[in-house]
Amino acid sequence: MFRIAIKDLKLFVAEKRSMILTFIVPIPLITLFSLAFGGMGKSSDVRKLPLVVCDEDHSISTKRLVQQLDSLPQLRLFHTSLDTANDLVQKGKEDAALVFHKGFADSLEEGKNLPIELRYDKAKEVQMGMLMAVLSGNLMHLVGTKSLERKAIVRFDQQNPGMDSAMKKGVHQMIASNFGGGTSTGKSEAILTSTALSAQAEVSPGLIQAVAGTAVMMLLFSVAGLGASLLQEKEEGTLKKLLFSPLTPGNILFGKMISANIVAMTQLLIMFLFSWLAFGLDIKQNIPGLILMIIATAFACSGFGIMLASFVKTRAQVQGLTTLIVLTMSAIGGSMMPTFVMPIWMQHMAVFSVNYWSIQGFYDIYWRLKPISDPDFLMRVGMLFLIGLVLNTIAIFMFRRNILKIA
Amino acid sequence: MIKVENLVKKYGETTALDGISFEIKEGKFFGLLGPNGAGKTTTISILSTILRPDSGTVRIAGFDLQKDPDQCKRNIGVVTQEIALYNKLSAFDNLMFWGGIYDVPKAELKTRISEILSLFGLTERQHDKIEAYSGGMKRRINIASAMLHRPKVLFMDEPTVGVDPQSRNLIFEVLEKLHKEGITIVYTTHYMEEAERFCDQIGIIDKGKIIAEGTLAELKKSGGIKESIAVTFNEISEEVAKKIGTFLDGEFKFTGNTLHYYSNQIKSDLGKLIVLCNDQGADISNIEIQKVNLETIFLSLTGKQLRD
Repeated sequence: MFRIAIKDLKLFVAEKRSMILTFIVPIPLITLFSLAFGGMGKSSDVRKLPLVVCDEDHSISTKRLVQQLDSLPQLRLFHTSLDTANDLVQKGKEDAALVFHKGFADSLEEGKNLPIELRYDKAKEVQMGMLMAVLSGNLMHLVGTKSLERKAIVRFDQQNPGMDSAMKKGVHQMIASNFGGGTSTGKSEAILTSTALSAQAEVSPGLIQAVAGTAVMMLLFSVAGLGASLLQEKEEGTLKKLLFSPLTPGNILFGKMISANIVAMTQLLIMFLFSWLAFGLDIKQNIPGLILMIIATAFACSGFGIMLASFVKTRAQVQGLTTLIVLTMSAIGGSMMPTFVMPIWMQHMAVFSVNYWSIQGFYDIYWRLKPISDPDFLMRVGMLFLIGLVLNTIAIFMFRRNILKIA
Repeated sequence: MIKVENLVKKYGETTALDGISFEIKEGKFFGLLGPNGAGKTTTISILSTILRPDSGTVRIAGFDLQKDPDQCKRNIGVVTQEIALYNKLSAFDNLMFWGGIYDVPKAELKTRISEILSLFGLTERQHDKIEAYSGGMKRRINIASAMLHRPKVLFMDEPTVGVDPQSRNLIFEVLEKLHKEGITIVYTTHYMEEAERFCDQIGIIDKGKIIAEGTLAELKKSGGIKESIAVTFNEISEEVAKKIGTFLDGEFKFTGNTLHYYSNQIKSDLGKLIVLCNDQGADISNIEIQKVNLETIFLSLTGKQLRD
């Protein structure tokens, strides 16, 4: 088994084209995707999404909100009147306009529905998906808590009209504290500082997207090539010759799996080292997490390659199927574009891809800054191992069943 | 060393092996001959453990193939018709790998590789990649890779196909050496001269059955085939041919301008035949003695040329 793995690694090293495809080709692709996703360097350099802001309310609350949105690293705001904003969006010169209608501050104080509106260009739905992802998180955090808090106080006052003012004040403070802040604006700003900004501290999500997405996609291509080596052995007669020896079909397949895993892990490691050296992705911040995710991803991807080779009959078929499956998995799994810009049904489909779990795992490490013991992170690692286990089991079953035919 | 009894293998409706039986004693050089599709490859595939028979038993080096395939595998070496080597690896690395999978200890394996490379005249080129080798050199390494674990039985399936004369001679030398060392060899070939030169036991298989088995001398006897003299004339009239025929007391036939005369005493009959033809005024253009060989036996038994 180990002799098979060592021999395969020697063959891999001797084959310069495989080496280039596995270790060199992904580097310009990562660079390209990093540039495309605005992932170069730190988060301050991220390409900002433009957003037109119209403040029709001109209140302290709206000014403060706009100021807070303006401080977000993902947004670049332009202030203008409602007419101009409508004109810009309609003519396609801007993607969207966020409008604070008159009465915003009063509605916020009274706990009513907030007169806030996002007007956008329908032709730019992809950009809208990204914009909504940024706005829905941050805006809801900024105004949602305050709005809900006011709604609760208003409802309490309506239900208890006879309560004396001292007692009401005490209850109001309790409600405010339950919403995590209090009524002072200073505390509201503290929430923004401690939550929204902390997860985005050092690194651009675009960089993580580019590195993880591209690395997994390229890995799937290269392990499919390694799996195809099994078919090469068949075509060149060496598989038959191996079967004359005391090696069992299981020994042969496990040997292939070991070499595929070693190459896959090396490839991922090189991709992340490159991202560290070229783009400043701080891979040192969670080395155990990185190692665990690399092992899990390599296991799942190599399982895919071996499984493919166990039932496909020729190398030409492997090439055709690999292109189809890897591109499909990469598209739905988030390697080519972030999953949040996809339709909901595609986001649900993403869980069936290796790419999704791996990319989310790397997001956990470098964006969400989750420790190795975090249940969500461990769940993603577990899913990758599960996928790898299922694929490898199918491969073993198919290989044992077909071995005499394929030799 | 090898005992095969009532071996049957069917592929759907087609019967590839129809209850064949034979026995090969230790140290024998056994030639398995047959036209294409006769069942040679199926037989070799079963004996070399990669194909399961439908019924019948096989014992190799005392081990039952069905019950103890691992021990059988350790006692056999297989030289395939195709050159099964890793082209991107050197000859040395290939041999280290193929010997290693039989668990030959590393130091011992290196010694054996050194010996075998010397035997095949490839010591100088041992660190070159196989892809840089000529066809004949590759074939030599292909044979060497099956011998490193010192098998008791060596299956060789057309090992000299597409080989240059130099490599062929080296392979022949190795075959002779292996035979002298007492290794049992099962050999398939389309080259009659190879079978006649090396095989001390021959089995002829056709339509899934062993139709003849024995030494070359035994096959010659059992086939009942006589040697013949073929006399070709520049021109011969029907009348002259008839006259010649009246003087011949053995079996003969005319095909066109050629007279085929069958005899068990070719040497003494040759002179008489020439005198007879001259006396009758026939103009001889060519005389050929057709001896009984494996080719004629094969043709007589199967109705096909060995290369069909």
